[in-house]
Amino acid sequence: MQNYNKSKSIHPADVMILQLAAAIEDHETVFHGVSSQLPMIAAKYAKAKHAPNSTILNIPGGVNSKSRNLSSYSSAGKEEWYDSESIFPLEKVFDLSMRGKLDVAFLGGVQFDEFGNVNASVIGDYRKPKVRLPGGAGSAVLIPTVKKALIWRTKHDKKTFVPKVDFVTTRGNVYRIVTPLCTFGQVGGKLVVLEISPLSSKQEVIENTGFSLSLDNVSIGVLPTQAELLLIRKIDPQGLRYLEF
Amino acid sequence: MSKVTNIEEAVRLVQDGMMLGLGGNVLHRSPMAFVREIVRQKRKNLRVVKTAGGHDVDVLAAFNCLKSVDAGFIGYETGFGLAKFYRKAVEDGTIQANEHACYTVMSALRAAMANVGFMPIKGMVAGDLITQNDYFKIIEDPFTREKITVVKAITPDIAILHVQEADEDGNGFIFGPKYDDILLSNASKKIILTTEKLIPKSRSAMNFKNVDIPGFLVSAVVVAPRGAMPGSCDVMYDVDSKALKDFLSISDLKELNLYLQKYDHQDHQFR
Repeated sequence: MQNYNKSKSIHPADVMILQLAAAIEDHETVFHGVSSQLPMIAAKYAKAKHAPNSTILNIPGGVNSKSRNLSSYSSAGKEEWYDSESIFPLEKVFDLSMRGKLDVAFLGGVQFDEFGNVNASVIGDYRKPKVRLPGGAGSAVLIPTVKKALIWRTKHDKKTFVPKVDFVTTRGNVYRIVTPLCTFGQVGGKLVVLEISPLSSKQEVIENTGFSLSLDNVSIGVLPTQAELLLIRKIDPQGLRYLEF
Repeated sequence: MSKVTNIEEAVRLVQDGMMLGLGGNVLHRSPMAFVREIVRQKRKNLRVVKTAGGHDVDVLAAFNCLKSVDAGFIGYETGFGLAKFYRKAVEDGTIQANEHACYTVMSALRAAMANVGFMPIKGMVAGDLITQNDYFKIIEDPFTREKITVVKAITPDIAILHVQEADEDGNGFIFGPKYDDILLSNASKKIILTTEKLIPKSRSAMNFKNVDIPGFLVSAVVVAPRGAMPGSCDVMYDVDSKALKDFLSISDLKELNLYLQKYDHQDHQFR
């Protein structure tokens, strides 16, 4: 693993949570899926901080679950169902997105290229893959329909950001890709770096990205404040946000 | 007449080559005792459908019971990693991975539920999933003339659902998240319930408004306490992390058989 920690007390996961949470506005409907601890914490953070009227939806069907006891291994279990305002199962969340009423969805992926193609399916050939990945889950229908598709990936290297993805699980309408090194957006169909992590540098981003980037006018983000870190730790006392690192 | 039977008899309803719909989601409330009995009875060439599967699909893959899997996601959650045996079998070409977006599995089941051949899907507009899989087609909407992707219906021969409580008629109660079990129950030709507890009919009748799986649709009921282990079952138990990690560290057939043996007694408590 690369040496991210220039500042000893701040982990890249903390910066990523703030980047993801910043994309959530008040009154928005927000969905996260399975194997999604980092987004789950980011959504809870946004709701606790600047988006108190947002609605958080999940796979088991809990609406704004207030459960304090987060599962140590799952973002799709009973913990996210109990202490909810109402029950709105996954099937209905998808239908909501199809009707254009889902504002934010958190999605994964393993390879990305500069045109915003997302691969969560296979490395190599689809029928005879070198690596069979878990699969895109809801991505292929959510990225085209949700207003803001937020992608997170805890690896940022040349195997992740490639000239051409091996398989296009889905494409288009990528609002943000947040990594430990930077945050991408999409302009004119192409991925552009919007901000570099305060724990990284322009050089590190360039060295770890497999396609060319223009970073001339890109700024380095600010470090999280003590108050922001305290709130993250309050929401995630177990440190689930580090699971993927 | 009571539909209660033992697990060996219930698995005899499963024939080689059948399409099975498995209840639960990833590591939660999967019909693991039933899955292990399928392995013991050496069923082959099974096809499985599930929006998001985990240990269930991985066990069937490890023992070579599968021909294909239609799913949006197959994996253990963060912390456990990839589904090792499933992954290897797909990479070797022995299992065909039919990747869906989770919603397209639901749409394929909705088509089966309504007994139509396909279902239109709003969001499926671009990418290799559409071009590489024969179960997606882009057609013209006959009313608007716009292009729309459709998914072919998937009709499971049997839905296998693990519930917390059921009566002898098969009226089943799910505690906590229901995931896609209700949809599966309506899309499948037959339903087999495995249940943590068998409750008297008088008790289910008192609570008839909360029945999740109506008994008249159910073919067989199997009493299977701890039947979702080593996965979780709401109210009853959480995952057995050690058992899952042990399973994922297995490297040969002998150890695989030991995994099965470990559950022999537990899976056959009610004969």
